[in-house]
Amino acid sequence: MLSIRNLTASVGDKQILKGLDLELPAGEVHAIMGPNGAGKSTLSNVLAGRDGYEVSGSATLDGVDLLELEPEQRAAKGLFLAFQYPVEIPGVGNMYFLRTALNAVRRERGEAEVSAVDFLKLAREHMARLEMDPAFLSRSVNEGFSGGEKKRNEILQMSLLEPRLAVLDETDSGLDIDALRVVATGVDGLRNPNRSMLIITHYPRLLEYVKPDKVHVLTDGRITRTGDHSLAHELEEQGYTPATAGTAS
Amino acid sequence: MSAVATSDADLVERLIAGATGTTPRAERGRAWLAANGLPTERDEAWRYTPVRDITAALATAVAAGTEATGVTRDLVDELAGDLGGPRLVLINGALAPELSDLTDRGAGLAGLWVGGGDELRARGSGGPYTGTAEPADGFQALNWVAGVDAAVVLIEAGNAIDAPIHVVHLATPGQMVALSHPRTVIKVGAGGRAQVVESFVGIDATADGRAITNSSTRIVVDDDAELTYQRVLNEPDTTLHIGRVGVVQRTRSQLHATAVATGGAVVRTAVHVNLTGERARADLGGLYLPTGHQRHDNVITVDHSASYCESNQNFTGIVGDHGRGSFSGHVIVRPGTVGTDANQSNPNLVLASTAQADTRPWLEIFADDVKCAHGATVGRLDEEAAFYLRSRGIPAAQARAMLVAAFASTALDRLSPDTLRERVASVVEVRTADTTANLETPS
Ligand SMILES: Nc1ncnc2c1ncn2[C@@H]1O[C@H](COP(=O)(O)OP(=O)(O)OP(=O)(O)O)[C@@H](O)[C@H]1O
Ligand SMILES: [Mg+2]
Repeated sequence: MLSIRNLTASVGDKQILKGLDLELPAGEVHAIMGPNGAGKSTLSNVLAGRDGYEVSGSATLDGVDLLELEPEQRAAKGLFLAFQYPVEIPGVGNMYFLRTALNAVRRERGEAEVSAVDFLKLAREHMARLEMDPAFLSRSVNEGFSGGEKKRNEILQMSLLEPRLAVLDETDSGLDIDALRVVATGVDGLRNPNRSMLIITHYPRLLEYVKPDKVHVLTDGRITRTGDHSLAHELEEQGYTPATAGTAS
Repeated sequence: MSAVATSDADLVERLIAGATGTTPRAERGRAWLAANGLPTERDEAWRYTPVRDITAALATAVAAGTEATGVTRDLVDELAGDLGGPRLVLINGALAPELSDLTDRGAGLAGLWVGGGDELRARGSGGPYTGTAEPADGFQALNWVAGVDAAVVLIEAGNAIDAPIHVVHLATPGQMVALSHPRTVIKVGAGGRAQVVESFVGIDATADGRAITNSSTRIVVDDDAELTYQRVLNEPDTTLHIGRVGVVQRTRSQLHATAVATGGAVVRTAVHVNLTGERARADLGGLYLPTGHQRHDNVITVDHSASYCESNQNFTGIVGDHGRGSFSGHVIVRPGTVGTDANQSNPNLVLASTAQADTRPWLEIFADDVKCAHGATVGRLDEEAAFYLRSRGIPAAQARAMLVAAFASTALDRLSPDTLRERVASVVEVRTADTTANLETPS
């Protein structure tokens, strides 16, 4: 499904990703943990096709190199990024945005477009599952949404767009305890044998709801460790640099 | 052989000689024009307007013919829309009764009178022209000299008209550079309420034909009256339009005015509101959208000559390609007035490095008790937002068009009825689709 080989990314003189390798088979959920500034968001941005990085290496989704494609083509291939900091877009209605996005992706897949009436029904169903007030449909995209509401809106988009590969960048940060349960249960419900997920997080709690097949540690632009679900708890207890943590007191 | 103007003085002489109006208004305009001539770029109020281009075109212009040959109702519908209420159509400044729908549409139009200026005089109602007023500049003076029929909308005191009253000015230059002087007079009597839409449209019949439109709209909103005035300029991209809207607002009157410019080679919209009665409110807004090599200038003046008045100027500029747009927000607060509240805002979106947006507040405040706020921004398209939309599968051009439409939405949301708003929104979409398709990608 997703295969990342020797991926590097720099901004100006600063190299952020330094030859990153990662294999994510179909249907699996992998977590990525790592210290602040290690390059986790850079990895998701580079996968999604944000401008401004000097990139080398490859990242293929079902055999197609994503790095060659425009952002919208990557989305059409089935990539979805839940942003760490979703953008506010004043003046663009959330409902209009969601329907435009869904229809753009459906067009690419050769499926019929969804009418405004059918979309409203569909959106309400998905929102109910995420315990989201339908009032969010009539607001501008993310404008004035609280941190947690923005994250929930990201997962609503994921749920509607049915991506083949979802990258979730700190979707759990900013969610209160109940919201985390609702959103995480929602994400777990979106798991299926054809869909893979890459979950970037700092905390093991989300991973208790969405049990990962593997946990990777990203430090200084590379994957430096890979383990199973228990690695998340080990890191929680010992930190990323247990040796120095031990001598700090 | 046609006379060719070699200087502005010759041009003015030729323009005066070409117009034969004998009304007091024409006489006064003629005298003023002979004494003062046409404005130049050195005039403060004409700073951003390519006056040279206009006078050069005037030098070759002839008076537009006023017969409605070949213009059908379908064409008017297509260009200006049918808003469902009474509609007055003028071709090159002359009333076209056979294309107009006056009193035969919709109930509840008692107390409304629409028609041409001659009938108005016959009815003894007179116009707002007092016989002592001075034209603001040479172009307005020229309109006084050469303007013929006026579209007149009178709402009698105490009457509320719900149907939108539509005045359509259509320019058909044929083979020529054709000059016309459309006029509109709107008067809402004390306690009255109405909604008037003024559309300026045109057809370029041939490659050589283009229109110069020198329009004048006079508005009086009497005590406690309320007027929604919407001005939509979507002329062919060859048209030069010098437009002036002069408003007098009396005590506690309310004006909600919106001016949208999409077409035209050069479009100058001057709005001058004189708040002469206490507690009057003027809410002025608009949208201008020069792309290609278009020039759209807005010179908006509110003269607070009475106390406790409130004014808002909220104009949105979207400039693309080699387009240039400007907003001059002029506020005058007269000595001895108190309790003035005057606000201005002018957000600009610049879609290309070759496009230009100019903005300037122009404040003349001669009183102390004044609240005055000015905010202008000039920004580029939010690439973060565009990336967000694209990451959801929305193609780049569509994503940018959505952001441009969002930027325009504050202005577009002012428009009513829905048919008018949707019409203008789709023009904005088409025009900016061209622009955003040529957007250079930032490095
Ligand atoms: N455009 C940029 N210009 C310069 N430095 C950048 C740029 N983008 C990212 N960086 C730097 O690259 C490093 C990695 O950033 P990134 O956002 O990928 O970290 P992260 O692993 O997501 O961290 P966090 O856990 O705090 O979200 C940081 O040191 C950051 O400052
Ligand atoms: Mg990050």
